[in-house]
Amino acid sequence: MELIWYAVFALLLVGYFALEGFDLGVGMLLPLIGGDQRGRDRLVAAMAPFVLANEVWLVAVAGTLFGVYPMLEGEVLFGLYPLVVAMLLAWVVRDAGLWFRRRADGARWRSFWDAMITVGSLGLAFGWGVALYAAATGFAASLLHPAGLLLGVVVTLVLAWHGWTFLGWRAPEAAGITRSGRALALSGAAAALPAAAVVGGALPYLLEHSAPSPTLSVLSVMVLPFAPVMVLAQVWVWRTFRPGKGPVRTLSFF
Amino acid sequence: MDVLDLARLQFAATGSLHFLFVMVTLGLAPLVAIMHTRWVRSGDPEHERMTRFWGEVYVINYALGIVTGLVMEFQFGLSWAGLSHYAGDVFGAPLAMETLVAFFLESTFLGLWIFGWGRLPRRLHLACIWLVTLTAYASAFFVMVANSFLQNPAGALLRNGRMELVDAAALFTNKALVFAFPHVIGVGLFAGGMVVVGASAYRLRRRDGEAAFFTASLRTGVGTAFAGLWVAVAFGYPQFAGVAEGKFGSDRGVATTALAIMMEAGNLLSLVLLALLVTRSRLPRWRWSHPLLIAMTPVPFALAVCGWLAREVGRQPWMIWERLSVADAMSPGLTSGMVTASLVGFVAVLGMLAVADYALIVRVVRRGPRDLPLGATVDEQRSPALSH
Repeated sequence: MELIWYAVFALLLVGYFALEGFDLGVGMLLPLIGGDQRGRDRLVAAMAPFVLANEVWLVAVAGTLFGVYPMLEGEVLFGLYPLVVAMLLAWVVRDAGLWFRRRADGARWRSFWDAMITVGSLGLAFGWGVALYAAATGFAASLLHPAGLLLGVVVTLVLAWHGWTFLGWRAPEAAGITRSGRALALSGAAAALPAAAVVGGALPYLLEHSAPSPTLSVLSVMVLPFAPVMVLAQVWVWRTFRPGKGPVRTLSFF
Repeated sequence: MDVLDLARLQFAATGSLHFLFVMVTLGLAPLVAIMHTRWVRSGDPEHERMTRFWGEVYVINYALGIVTGLVMEFQFGLSWAGLSHYAGDVFGAPLAMETLVAFFLESTFLGLWIFGWGRLPRRLHLACIWLVTLTAYASAFFVMVANSFLQNPAGALLRNGRMELVDAAALFTNKALVFAFPHVIGVGLFAGGMVVVGASAYRLRRRDGEAAFFTASLRTGVGTAFAGLWVAVAFGYPQFAGVAEGKFGSDRGVATTALAIMMEAGNLLSLVLLALLVTRSRLPRWRWSHPLLIAMTPVPFALAVCGWLAREVGRQPWMIWERLSVADAMSPGLTSGMVTASLVGFVAVLGMLAVADYALIVRVVRRGPRDLPLGATVDEQRSPALSH
């Protein structure tokens, strides 16, 4: 049972990077390839239908961390206190940017929130690199360790590439490039690789620190029956919003 | 203030802010779902406008529920690592269920509802908002399960210095939960109903068109607020049977005062809401009543904060009643500097976003049900930006 829950935890974390990774990438790319306001609108509209279904994977990671690895939850989050606070604030302003950008008229209003999307996406991506390095080294090293900062830059670049590939798949005319679904799967795998390596390396440690079996049993009974529903809901999102389904007459809400 | 007070203040500030927006979500979600159902059944464009207008208010409000909720979820690990260390095997389970079973689905279905407008078949689109409502209520349930465990640690035993789950059924039938959960749901409906009442009264008072739209909305809002408040009051009193002895003694200032304010105001308001219900078809024409209705809109929010203060401050100095103190639950090694920095960051950012969000909701109400971005099609918008 420890193994099943480890698989759930690993899948959620890896899935978060593969999916939310391209949202963060698109957020970073807004000022670079968006051009004017109209161009940025088109880029945001391309990722908008996926964001709510993608970012929630990290919420699920945190919930699973609490339920399945309660002994580690406090250790991990408290061990990275300033980083977690900064990443939370980055996530918050990124989300606020998406929700607020089209809620009022005016060029300055929208460019302000677009800038918040970019700042938040950059902060979150860079923070992930630092956090993954810290996790890989057992939270012993300083958060400002050069290797951690370097991994932050690497993760940021990989997610930017993943975001660019996503745009090439979903909105080629807005992105200026065309990419296949297979290319998107490849960049998604690359985006998930650092997290997969860390969670894979932590396998023995995580199994050892799992919650006791009565807790895991209750979680299994309550959660696993809903797993097919969760998968179906995600598949439904991808089926509904995949490109090339004919002209759509609705305006983007984000 | 010492570090413990700061950590508690941080949780109280972000938690109160979170709940102010969550209660509107809980109240408006079923209302919007009902409006959407009427629209699908009748095909009446007026029902469509109703769905889109109140749906717009609902989703703008939802944004703040999400961002404050993120901060809440991570705060357990940041400031209260002692709690997960001591009781995470029990307390973590309902929170894991909340994120996996409830919020994961809620967020996914909300995305489908918002962006699936005009894309999904009509009945599947309608199913999305009902699934959002259902999972939002499931979320509230699991959070209340976790909170009730802190009030009354049922279903768990102490073994080797840590709490272990021995009886899951006891966790889900906790006497601190069974009446508190419907109470919270009633409060949500009361708040959501009063938002609709206040906004409609504001529009009717200003006489700037859409009288029929806001007359219908006002009546719906009064009915919802009445039902919600009576559920909240009816499930308020039985909760005392589950309250630990000594929680509201005369020596416990803030908690007892907050409780008294909530109860007195709740009783008085039940009568006021009854009067509103009886006169609801005349209220839209009684212009003198509109400023009163607008002034009543913040009341459910103030009372909800009182209710949480009574429940949570009343639990002090315990994190888990008579098991773990808040001082022991705090992350060991947490310093005043760390909490001060994060407290300032969270309060500043979330506070500004809350003000902006409120202003945006007011803006929607002022503009009324025209040019609504939610579900807008290319033909009806002036500055089109196609979605792909």
